[in-house]
Amino acid sequence: MASMDIRVGDTARAVSPAALQRSGSQTILAVLTGLAALASFAIIFLMLFFLIAYAYPAIRFNGIEFFTSGIWNIGNQYGSGTMTRNGFSAQPGASFGALVFIFGTLLTGALTMVVAVPLSLMVALSLVYTVPKRLRPIANALVELMAGVPSVVYGLWGMVVLVPWIGEKLAPWVTAHLGFVPFLGGSAGSGNGLAASVFILSLMVIPIMVATTRDVMLAQSNSLFEASMALGSTSWQAMTRAVLPSVRSGVVASVLLAFGRALGETMAVLMVCGAAINSYPENIFSPVNTIAAVIVSQLESALTDASGMAQRSLAELACALFVITLIINVVARGIMRGADRREGRAA
Amino acid sequence: MAIARTGVAPKSWASRTWWTFSTACLIAVIGVLFSIFAFVMARGFPAIKLSLFTTSTHGTAGGLLNAIAGTFLLVVIGLAIVTLVGLGTAIWTVEFAPLWAKRVIRFMVDVLAGVPSIVVGYFLYVALVEEAGWGFSLVAGAIALAIFMLPYVVRAADVAFSNVPRTVREGAVALGARPAMVIFSIDFPWALPGILTGLLVATGIGLGETAPLIYTAGWSNYLPTLAPTHSPVGYLTYVVWTYISQPFEASHQLAYAAAALLMIFIFATNLLARSFVEYRTNRSR
Amino acid sequence: MRKTLALAFAALLAAGALGSGKAMAGTSLLETGSTLVYPLMNLWVADYQKDHKDVQITTQGTGSGTGISQAISGVAQIGASDAYMADSQMKSSPMLNIPLAISAQQINYNIPGLNNKHLHLSGPVLAGIYSGQIKYWDDKQIAELNHGIKLPHHEIVPIHRADGSGDTFIFSQYLSFSTPSWKNGPGYGTTISWPSVGNAVGANGNPGMVQTCRNTRYSIAYIGVSFLDETNKAGLGYAALKNRSGRFVLPNASTIHAAASALGSKTPRDERISLVFAPGAESYPIINYEYAIVNPHQQDAGKAADLKKFLMWAIAKDGGQQARFLNAVHFLPLPEKIVQLSKEQIEKIK
Repeated sequence: MASMDIRVGDTARAVSPAALQRSGSQTILAVLTGLAALASFAIIFLMLFFLIAYAYPAIRFNGIEFFTSGIWNIGNQYGSGTMTRNGFSAQPGASFGALVFIFGTLLTGALTMVVAVPLSLMVALSLVYTVPKRLRPIANALVELMAGVPSVVYGLWGMVVLVPWIGEKLAPWVTAHLGFVPFLGGSAGSGNGLAASVFILSLMVIPIMVATTRDVMLAQSNSLFEASMALGSTSWQAMTRAVLPSVRSGVVASVLLAFGRALGETMAVLMVCGAAINSYPENIFSPVNTIAAVIVSQLESALTDASGMAQRSLAELACALFVITLIINVVARGIMRGADRREGRAA
Repeated sequence: MAIARTGVAPKSWASRTWWTFSTACLIAVIGVLFSIFAFVMARGFPAIKLSLFTTSTHGTAGGLLNAIAGTFLLVVIGLAIVTLVGLGTAIWTVEFAPLWAKRVIRFMVDVLAGVPSIVVGYFLYVALVEEAGWGFSLVAGAIALAIFMLPYVVRAADVAFSNVPRTVREGAVALGARPAMVIFSIDFPWALPGILTGLLVATGIGLGETAPLIYTAGWSNYLPTLAPTHSPVGYLTYVVWTYISQPFEASHQLAYAAAALLMIFIFATNLLARSFVEYRTNRSR
Repeated sequence: MRKTLALAFAALLAAGALGSGKAMAGTSLLETGSTLVYPLMNLWVADYQKDHKDVQITTQGTGSGTGISQAISGVAQIGASDAYMADSQMKSSPMLNIPLAISAQQINYNIPGLNNKHLHLSGPVLAGIYSGQIKYWDDKQIAELNHGIKLPHHEIVPIHRADGSGDTFIFSQYLSFSTPSWKNGPGYGTTISWPSVGNAVGANGNPGMVQTCRNTRYSIAYIGVSFLDETNKAGLGYAALKNRSGRFVLPNASTIHAAASALGSKTPRDERISLVFAPGAESYPIINYEYAIVNPHQQDAGKAADLKKFLMWAIAKDGGQQARFLNAVHFLPLPEKIVQLSKEQIEKIK
C-alpha cells in the first residue's frame, strides 16, 4: 500500500475488462482479497463445526434430556466411579438438563421485546416527527452514544443502583399492592432476577432498535406521511395508516436483530439475573438464568469435572445458543433483504 | 439526508396523545440513559488521579496503566487484523465478486455480527487457549476482538467503496489506470472517511468488550509484553467486572475509575466517528 | 491510510518497548483461582514484589475450578483453590495440594430485629432450610435451638452460590457430615444440585451473597470469612453453629484454631483433607485450608525455582503468614506441623 505509482498517462494499454483480468497484479489482488472475504465464512463454519465436534460426547451422553430436563448437576466430583451412557462417561449423578436456561433465555428475550419494542418505536417516531428540528441532532447523538456503552458498565449500574432499588422499593410495593395480578404476587426476592434483567436488556437494545427503525422511517415514510397529511389525515392517521405499515418489514427485522442481541448478551445479565439453577421463575422478580450467563458462571465448576463432560455440556449450550441466534439472524436478514428488494432499494 | 420535518401540529385527540406519549418515551429513555452516564461519571471521576496512568494495578488497588496499555494494545492489534481482513473482504465484494457472491458475503458478515460474544469467547478458549496451547495471550484476545469488529468494518468499507462515484472511476480507467491502481489511487482516498468511520466504530466495540476477553486475553497485573502467546494481558473492562466484587473500598474506586475511563474513551471515538460522517456528507454535497 | 498504519505501527512499537523493558527483568508466574484467596494473594504479591523485583506474579480471581484446571494445563503456575482436588482428578492428573492458610465460613442472616443476636443453628436445621422442609423462621426445629428468642413467622429465603465455589463445597460438606439425608441427597461439591425451593435465590460470588442477603429480609446465606467486614457493614447477623460435640460456637480466632489443631495431626502427607465438622468442644465446624494447586513437574526450571521461593515465603512465619496479611482477610496462619508438610511438598517442585 505504501508505494503506488500512478501512471495515469499510460493510455496505450487496452482497457477492456477481459484484458485487465489477465494482468498479474490484478490476479494477486483478487486472490488476496478473496481469501480475506472467505474469513467471515470460515469463522462461522469453523466455530459451528468445532463447537459441535467438541460437544459431541455431551450430545450423545445427554440425548434428549438436554432439552427436556431442568436439572443441571455436574455430578459428584468427590464420589467414586463414573456413570456411562451411550459410550460416554460423566461423574456419578450427573444430569445436564438445559431447559431452565433455554426457557430463561427465551423468556428474558421475549419480555425485553415486550418492553423495548413499543418504547423504541415511540422514541424513533419522536426523533423523526416531534422533536424540534434544532434539538434533533443532539437527541440522535445521545441515543447513538448510549448504544456504545459497554455491557459491563450497564451491569455495574444494574448491580449498584437498579437491583437494590427493585429489591428494596419496587418489588415489595408491587407484590403487596398488585399481588393479585398473575406473576406479580409472591416472593419479592432480592432484586436480582427477571425484572432487573429485562430492564437492563431493554436499555441495551433500545438505542440499537431506535437507530435502525429511525433510519427505516427516514428512508421510507417522508413522502408517505406528507402525502397522507395533504389528503387531510390527522397526524395520528398518517402515522398509523401510512407510515407504520410501510416500515413494517424493516421494523420486524430490527426487532428480530435486537431479540438476537438480547438472547446473547452476557455480562450485564450475569451481573443482575440472580442466577437461578434448577428452578423456574414464579413471578417477574424471581431469579432467572440465561444460556450466555450460565456459560460464564458454570465454566468455573465445569472445570473441576475430571471426566470433562460438564465442559462439553457447556459447549453444547454454546451450540444451542449459536443455532438459536443464527436462525433469528438469518430470518431477520432475509426479511430485510426481501423488503429492500420489494421496495426497489439496492440490496 | 431526509428533508427536515418541522413540528406538525397535532389535529385530533388521538394525535395529541400519541405525540405527547412518544415525546414522553423519548425523554424517559434519554433520562435513564443519562442517569447511568451521570452515575458512572459521579463515582468514577473523583477516582481518576494522575497515578492511575503511571502505575499498574497492584494488589487490590494501584493504578490502571497495565489495563489501559493492554486495552489499547489489544484494540490496535485487533484493528490491524480487521483492517487487513475487513478491507480485503470489502474490496473483493465490491470489485471482483459476482453478484451471488456479493449477496452471500454480505449476508454472512451480517450474520457474524449477530453471533453472541460468549459463543466466540468459549470457542476461542477451547480452540486457541487450550487445544492450540497458546495460553491466555495477546493474539487470542486480539483475534476475539477482530471477530467482533469485522462486520462493522466490512459494512462501512463496503458502503464507502460502493459510493465512489462511477464517473471518477470510469475516467481513471479511460485514462488507462489498471483496476488495482484504481483501487489504491481512486477508491481508497475517496472512501477513506467512510473506512475510518468504520474503524472508529470498531474501536468503540473493541474497547467495551468483556465476555470474549475473559477466557482469551486472561488478565495481568503487569504491562503487556509483546509476546504473542503465553502472556496474559490486562484490560479495562476486566477491572470493572472483577474489582467491584472485591471486599475493599479501594478496589471499588478502581472499578468506577475504569468504567468512567471506558465511557470517556468510547464516547470520544464515537464522537470522532460522527464527525467523519459529517465531513463525508458535507463533502458529498 | 498510510498515516494511520504508520501511527498504529508506532503505537505497537512503543507499547512493545514499554512491555519488554519490564519483561526482560526476570520470570513471570501466573496465579489464578479462588476469589477467597485472591485478596490475600494481592496483599502478598504486592509486598513480596518489593524485595523480589526479578519475578512478576500476576494474580487472577477466577474461581477454584479454573485455578485447578489451569494449573493442570500449565496455563497457570499456581491454581488457588478452596477445595482439595478429588481422587478422580488426582488419578488423571496428579498435582500438589499445598495449604496456604486457614479460612472459615459464617452463616449470615437478615432478620429485622434479630441481627444483633447470634442465633443457634445446626447442620440438620440448615439442611432442612436448604431443602425446603423448614419454611418459616419460627419453625419448631429452629425454636428448639433458640429458647427465649422470639422468632418471626416469616418465610425463609435461602441464598446459595450460583457459580462453582469452594464455599459451596465446605457448606455442603457441613450439611453432609452432620445430616445423613443430605449426604444421600444433594451431597457435597463445589457445585451441587440444589433442591428446588420456591424462593431460593442464587447469587454470584461472595459479594453477590452479601448484597442479596442485605437486600432480602428473612434470608439466610453462607459467606466466606474474608467478607466479615462487608457482612458487618451490611448489618447482617451471624450464627453460632452446632459442632460435632453438640456445642454452639461462633467463628473467631480461637474456635477456628481449635478446629484446625484438632484435625492438624490427621492431615495426610498429600494434605488433602476436609477440616469441616472437626471434633473438639471448642471447634468451629466450617473451616478449610486454602490450597495452592501446583504441578510438581514444571516445564521451565527458572519458573520452578521462583515458584518454590514464593511458596516458601508464603507459608513462612516471617513471610506470608504474618498477621498483617492474614488479619486483613480474617484468615488464620497454618499450624507449625502443616507448615512442615507444606514445605516437604514444595520441595517436590522441579
